Amino acid sequence: MTVLTIPSRRRAWGRSTAMIIVGAVVIGAFWSVDVNWARLADLPAQVMHYLWLMFSDPNWSKVPEALGQTWKSVAMAWVGTVIGILLSFPLGFLAARGFSPAPVRWSMRVGFAIIRAVPEIIIAIAILSVTGLTPLTGALALAIGSVGTLGKWGYEAIEGVDPGPIEATRASGGNIAQILRWGVWPSATPDFISFWLYRFEINVRSSAVLGLIGVGGIGDMLTSYTQFREWSTVGVLIIVVVIVTMGIDAISGAIRRRIVEGT
Amino acid sequence: MRDVTVRYASGVVALKNVSLDIRPGEMVSVVGLSGSGKSSLIRTINGLVPITSGSLRVGGYHLESARGGELRRLRGEIGMIFQGFNLAKRTSVLNNVLVGRLAHTTTLRTLLLGAYRASDREIAFEALNRVGILSKVWDRASSLSGGQQQRVAIARALCQEPRLVLADEPVASLDPPTAHEVMDDLRRINQDLGITVITNLHLIDLARSYGTRIIGLRAGEVVFDGPVESASDAVFAKIYGRSVESADVLGL
Ligand SMILES: Nc1ncnc2c1ncn2[C@@H]1O[C@H](COP(=O)(O)OP(=O)(O)OP(=O)(O)O)[C@@H](O)[C@H]1O
Ligand SMILES: [Mg+2]
Repeated sequence: MTVLTIPSRRRAWGRSTAMIIVGAVVIGAFWSVDVNWARLADLPAQVMHYLWLMFSDPNWSKVPEALGQTWKSVAMAWVGTVIGILLSFPLGFLAARGFSPAPVRWSMRVGFAIIRAVPEIIIAIAILSVTGLTPLTGALALAIGSVGTLGKWGYEAIEGVDPGPIEATRASGGNIAQILRWGVWPSATPDFISFWLYRFEINVRSSAVLGLIGVGGIGDMLTSYTQFREWSTVGVLIIVVVIVTMGIDAISGAIRRRIVEGT
Repeated sequence: MRDVTVRYASGVVALKNVSLDIRPGEMVSVVGLSGSGKSSLIRTINGLVPITSGSLRVGGYHLESARGGELRRLRGEIGMIFQGFNLAKRTSVLNNVLVGRLAHTTTLRTLLLGAYRASDREIAFEALNRVGILSKVWDRASSLSGGQQQRVAIARALCQEPRLVLADEPVASLDPPTAHEVMDDLRRINQDLGITVITNLHLIDLARSYGTRIIGLRAGEVVFDGPVESASDAVFAKIYGRSVESADVLGL
């Protein structure tokens, strides 16, 4: 029998170091957070107490208003998503390798990354002074936030597209617009539509959170009734939000699956 | 083409001082080992690969100076067929064939679905009919077999109403009977329509039976150029730099 010479395995020092650092940060974070651990013991009882207040006798008469406000939030999400799509679509192409010069490409990418790093609620607060406490502020904040993710997903999808049809459109004399339309777009459509729907789902959830700063919609209503300590209404609002959000997620998710599989 | 040299950015010299005259209506087979520069030769002709030095005239165009719109007009008159078919798989056969009309249509029309002129669609239908797959016109490209996809690609090239068709290993991903059918299609467009056809092949028997002229490339240089009758096994041995093997023929 021949003796196998097994190549010595390279030790992943980088990985080990990273693990140790992450572990240290996690433990350190626990230590530094000033938590009154004694109160933790009360937590289950407190949670039960509030759950009881909210759901033992929900104020069903508020359902129509809650639905109306939820609709407002969904509309905010929808408008934000559509504006986000319109902005991110051309910008995504400008960020894709092979379709724009490097300086443009990199500034686009940095722009997307900065947007992704800022939560929508901060964006909303930032533009609040210009647009006021209106649903439009919420929609615009969501639109800007969407550009960050849709732009990134967009250029990644474009760069991952089958190069064959691109080459064929170029070889038959197509200009850059025609190459995008007939060489890139047919392969990228399912990805794009799927990203747009997914971002809409995210925006539906975010729109409820944006209500907290008072731009309207279900989040706004939720904050008010929490401040009034009208727990029976708060319970109804939570039920409505959960059902509507899950419903939209389910429908949009089903469409996305069909798009991805039906290709 | 005169003294054409192609050097890639990587420093590889793919073509060395190549001089060739190809007359309208010829059916040329370009043969050579992998890496000998066949694809590079074909791609310089429609400007997909820029020439480093030398001069190349195709139709009325000068490749060494052609840029932008002029290059696109030239490409519009040259059909190209690829080993991997290069169809947009998720769209219809018709949309794929209409890609052949891009250079002959305004950009605005081509960007909108279904805004092609009726005459352009007519050309597309005729092209599909010529390769015998008109019945598949509304099908998705991905639903077709390899041979059918390559015929769609030929129809796309025909749809350009080209004076020249370039084919880069058009049958290398097809099984032998289908390979013959596709080569027959190429021969027909050469004989019936008088279109010049330049085909890269690495299989000797295909090159012999479908070409009327054979160009042999070896390490970027033309080592043989002559009518198919004079391309004996000894000639192929010279092109390949080794004796001819059974793997060099398709058989069948
Ligand atoms: N885009 C490119 N950039 C750099 N070098 C390239 C490029 N394309 C081809 N080459 C090199 O140029 C030489 C000729 O390649 P070419 O593709 O023309 O050969 P070929 O005869 O078509 O080979 P095959 O039969 O494998 O397709 C090879 O050494 C190859 O590595
Ligand atoms: Mg090749």
